[in-house]
Amino acid sequence: MRLLVVEDEPRISEIIKAALERAEFAVDTVRLRADAREALANTAYDAAILDLGLPDGDGLNLLAELRPAGSRIPILILTARDAVEDRVLGLDAGADDYLVKPFAMSELVARTKALLRRPGAALGTTLKAGNIVFDTIGRDVSVAGVPLQLPRREAAILEHLLRRQGRVVPKSVLEEKLYGIDDELESNAVPVHVHHLRRKLQDAAASAEIHTVRGVGYLLAETKG
Amino acid sequence: MSFGQFRSLQVRLAVRLAVLYVAAAAIAVGVLVYQVYDTAGSLNDRELGLRAEDLARALVADGTGQPRLDLPAKLAAAYAAAPEDDLFAIRDTNGRVIAASPDEFGERVAKWPPATDEPSYFRLSGAGSEDFGSETYYGLSVALQTAAGPMWISVARTEGSDALIRSILREFVVNAIWVSPLLMLATLAIGIFAIRNGLKPVREVSRMAASIGPDATSVRLPEQDLPTEIMPLVASINHALDRLEKGFAVQREFTANAAHELRTPLAIINSALETMDGNSELEKLRTDVARMNRLVEQLLRVARLDSVALEFGTVDLNKVASLAVAAMAPWAIAQGKAIAFAGTEWPVNVKANVHALEDALRNLIENAVAHAPAGTEVTVTVDRAGRIDVADRGRGVPRKDRENIFKRFWRGAGEKKEGAGLGLAIVSEIMRAHRGSVSVAENPGGGAVFTLSFPPLQTGDSKIARRYIAGDAA
Repeated sequence: MRLLVVEDEPRISEIIKAALERAEFAVDTVRLRADAREALANTAYDAAILDLGLPDGDGLNLLAELRPAGSRIPILILTARDAVEDRVLGLDAGADDYLVKPFAMSELVARTKALLRRPGAALGTTLKAGNIVFDTIGRDVSVAGVPLQLPRREAAILEHLLRRQGRVVPKSVLEEKLYGIDDELESNAVPVHVHHLRRKLQDAAASAEIHTVRGVGYLLAETKG
Repeated sequence: MSFGQFRSLQVRLAVRLAVLYVAAAAIAVGVLVYQVYDTAGSLNDRELGLRAEDLARALVADGTGQPRLDLPAKLAAAYAAAPEDDLFAIRDTNGRVIAASPDEFGERVAKWPPATDEPSYFRLSGAGSEDFGSETYYGLSVALQTAAGPMWISVARTEGSDALIRSILREFVVNAIWVSPLLMLATLAIGIFAIRNGLKPVREVSRMAASIGPDATSVRLPEQDLPTEIMPLVASINHALDRLEKGFAVQREFTANAAHELRTPLAIINSALETMDGNSELEKLRTDVARMNRLVEQLLRVARLDSVALEFGTVDLNKVASLAVAAMAPWAIAQGKAIAFAGTEWPVNVKANVHALEDALRNLIENAVAHAPAGTEVTVTVDRAGRIDVADRGRGVPRKDRENIFKRFWRGAGEKKEGAGLGLAIVSEIMRAHRGSVSVAENPGGGAVFTLSFPPLQTGDSKIARRYIAGDAA
């Protein structure tokens, strides 16, 4: 998978490149907005990481050009805290996610992977966490190569947790996912489904588990060690 | 008494003023008394002089040319009425006594030297004498021209005859002495009152000066309405404050720049360490770098808090707290600890800067997770009254440390050197900027509870309250 990093500070750019390469991405870096525009026109990148403060202009303008032209490339914005705009916070500009500087490289890698796990994105068809594999086209789930039968609702919850793995998925978001399947939703439907799903994954010796963040939502993370 | 022992300018001035007043009053009274006594004395002398002249006028020469005293009836009656009080004796230039009252006085005077034209005064003690009793007499002798030729005339009266005037004088002096402590107290009181009033602007300036600290370097002392003597002092202090403020600004800028510049190389080292294959030394190195990273980030936060005025908006504590919990949850879970959020059904709105509030909460949650034993839960609770509690099941904070833990670079005894001791100081400063506070207490059942308290928002802001969905129990 090939990523474009648009960042004018050479050392930061270098670190980002190194971190992403360690996660087995191919990375190109450019310094200027003009170069970024050209690179995006010539190469089919799977995602782009875009710094907003560039020497030849605001990175947001690049977004404003890309989206109307029909580009759906996932874009992660980097910005200094003091320069966070409401537009960025609301992602109205067409970005898919943003990170406020300073950030941990591990966070950048995790967010980038999450972007790529979206439906339609490069990692969006086959979702993985530890030894769990979810083929979103065939709706097949396997743990350590052994197929695992899941009801539709539990599969929907697992899919979403996998797409956002390593991050907390609010309970309300999972409820919305279930509304598409079930019009009459019991108030404790999500906890009940998560409870069953968790047990099935445990029984299948999955190397990733679902954690509850009481009062907020759920998080799927690979089991340590 | 040394005035040096009074540190207060007010008391010093008042005491000196009072002493001055009393000294001046004493001198004035003394002069007055002396003058009165002097006048009384000369009145007495004049009276005696007039008597001598009266006697001289009454002297006539009889047919033989012998001098004879022919007192008018009135005067004769007066002398006869009190022969022991009013004395006289008349001698001729040979020293022969012509007339005397009483005779005893004449006998005495006969032995005296000749009188002169200038009156000479004498004091006569009658003690032991039959006629004079024990009285003391004061009198004068003078040589006067009479119808019977030059005569020596001596008159005297008892000293007690001016007793009335003298007793009045004595009473006056006693009163003056008795009143002087009252006068002293009154002048002291008036002095203190007047000086206090006069020093009011100085006290005002002192009060303002007391509010100056590292957080309020922009305060300047008012230079209006000040006594001209103090103006130069205040002006110099203000100049010194200008220089101090500049110094502070330079120092803050330096901290911010240094932290900012350290960030990139640290990130590079961090990133390089992540790529290396680990042994235990490398693991330690990674921990060290992570700690340094944290310190640099916190220094940056401190510098930002010090230098930038926060912009405030209306913020729902439920929203900020649940987002902070969601953001910190992956890290907490990776540490083998659970984290939970308990919100309220309705929004709890406060005036706050979202980023600063996030920083504060993040620091508290980091702290709680770091101190929580593995397998326990850190809970973040929002209260309707505008409070956020962050509770853990760690060892808690000893009562004696509860004030100190919010100071910069403070670390409790025996505590592992994990942080720089800045995290809680940052929280405290953020809360002060919000006119709120942070405090720590014991968590019932063990551990610590840190509480962020915000001042209540005016009612009306929460009227458009909306049910907060993420606040439902998951």
